[in-house]
Amino acid sequence: MRRLPALTVDRGIGGLVLVFAVVAPFLVPQFWTANLLTQTLILGIVAASLIFLSAYGGMVSLAQVSIYGIAGFVVGNLTTNGNTKGLNLGWNPWWGVVLGIVIATIVAILFGALSSRSTGIYFLMITLTFAVIANYFFGQVTDLSGFGGISGIPAPKQIGPVDAHPWRLYYVCFGVALVLYALMRYVVRTPFGISLQGVRDDPVRMSSLGYNVRLHRTIAFAFGGFVAACGGVLFVWWNQHIDPASIQLSAVIDVLVIAVIGGLFRLEAAWLGAFVFVVLNNYVQRLGFWSLSTRFGTVIGLVFLAIVILSPGGLMGIWERLLSLAGRRRSQTPTAQAPLESGTVEPSV
Amino acid sequence: MSEAVVTEHAEPILRLRGVGRRFGGLHAVRDVDLDVAHGERRAILGPNGAGKTTLFNVISGDFPATSGSIHFLGQDVTGVAARHRAKLGMGRTYQKTRLFHGLSVEDNLYLAVLGVKQGHLRPVVVPKQDEELRGRARELIASVHLGGRESTLVGNLSHGEQRQLEIGMARASDPKLMMLDEPASGLSRGERVALTDLLLGLDPSITLILIEHDMDVALRVAQRVTMMHDGRVIVEGTPDEIRANQTVHDLYLGRGHQADG
Repeated sequence: MRRLPALTVDRGIGGLVLVFAVVAPFLVPQFWTANLLTQTLILGIVAASLIFLSAYGGMVSLAQVSIYGIAGFVVGNLTTNGNTKGLNLGWNPWWGVVLGIVIATIVAILFGALSSRSTGIYFLMITLTFAVIANYFFGQVTDLSGFGGISGIPAPKQIGPVDAHPWRLYYVCFGVALVLYALMRYVVRTPFGISLQGVRDDPVRMSSLGYNVRLHRTIAFAFGGFVAACGGVLFVWWNQHIDPASIQLSAVIDVLVIAVIGGLFRLEAAWLGAFVFVVLNNYVQRLGFWSLSTRFGTVIGLVFLAIVILSPGGLMGIWERLLSLAGRRRSQTPTAQAPLESGTVEPSV
Repeated sequence: MSEAVVTEHAEPILRLRGVGRRFGGLHAVRDVDLDVAHGERRAILGPNGAGKTTLFNVISGDFPATSGSIHFLGQDVTGVAARHRAKLGMGRTYQKTRLFHGLSVEDNLYLAVLGVKQGHLRPVVVPKQDEELRGRARELIASVHLGGRESTLVGNLSHGEQRQLEIGMARASDPKLMMLDEPASGLSRGERVALTDLLLGLDPSITLILIEHDMDVALRVAQRVTMMHDGRVIVEGTPDEIRANQTVHDLYLGRGHQADG
């Protein structure tokens, strides 16, 4: 009961962030809503799929951006009409949503099945391979995209055109992010989710208890792919364009950096990390001094380095440490070890 | 005395014939024959490196045998995966505790109970089914004397408590055969006594195989003892026979050691 205050503060802040997200379009300049905040929500979704796999399945996947890209390319091919690369099928954007997510999830099942035997660094390398394959696939299969990519991807008419109504897409992204977040939070407390955490902690023990570890990993990977795919659909609506550079290695690393800056052990950290990343990315480019404007990579690299050294749990780790320090001062007992919520634990590296 | 039992289960619950396991050039287990009767309490003794744990891994299916055959409940399980053997009724613990450190005590047992049931992949909570699983998990928590620690993260339990939980995990699937790998290792004297009582209090229909270095625990719990050395079974007998056996003394207890009592 002693750690109730910390939990209350944590939830209170979470609630405030949600309220802010709801009223933000009325408070901040349109540039913020249409660009920074929408992009934060979308990148947060992809990073959350990575954090889900890492925190609950022990799988640090570099393929999330590829799966998100596959969903995006499917949407692009199906829904554009005439003047761009790709199949230009001109279908209703809602079909794009369904097929984009379904196809990307099927690919995720395949990737998951192929990588389900591997753990640790080997898993990382296999998913890196997937990322590279996806990148070159869309670059070289010119029927589907080519290096120039697909432009003019429309959002459904209920939401778009995005340039005219940026608020609508912002709220759609907010709603989707919220639903996916709630879904992931729910799933980790189901039989599937608890078993997944068992697989994370000790796969050998899980098999001797009667579990099919590879199947479990595969399905978890597919679920992570589904979440990333939802982000991919939103990305092409927001960006109206996708090309292989959108899923190249630097984009993969961006999402990994977001997840690490936020904190690889807690889902909320995805959006925190994405916000810091997007804001830094935007403002560093406007800084006039030290030629920093062209050196975003250097700046984010230094931020990354500082965070990894100061707090392996990322910004969320710093936050939790502050909360537990405050809690300790109040109660004079060391309750700091107890995490705020069951099921969240720092991965031991 | 146990003629009725013998005729009822003429077949042993576990039968090994010529079982071997190689790791490259190392022959960790070789040509082991073993029959364990239903409801028997068997201890496996032997010096470090004798192949006891490897034998466990081969029986439970964590490593497949490289030669020989394993029959469990009359069924050939030599090529059956570990998770299917668990469902047939094998439960085990590990020499080094293998628990899920990021989960609570109750969730650990929840997983152990769920393991041999349907619905591993169910992505929704079905309240009725879940309550049943959790009810069973809490029963097990009480049975291994961890009441009140339900929501403690396993990583924060003491070593002794983790060993207790290990036994709860092995019991959770209601196994017909329970294999305990050095359950008393690292325990204090008092904890060993508690553990022995816990083992003696187990349902007599459960067959128990125990690897144990602590002779007090092993010889109090076991009805029969199998002695291993260098990957082979060298002696098998009752605790009294083992205590009296000269080879055992030379190999395991060391020359000059006197059996007390």
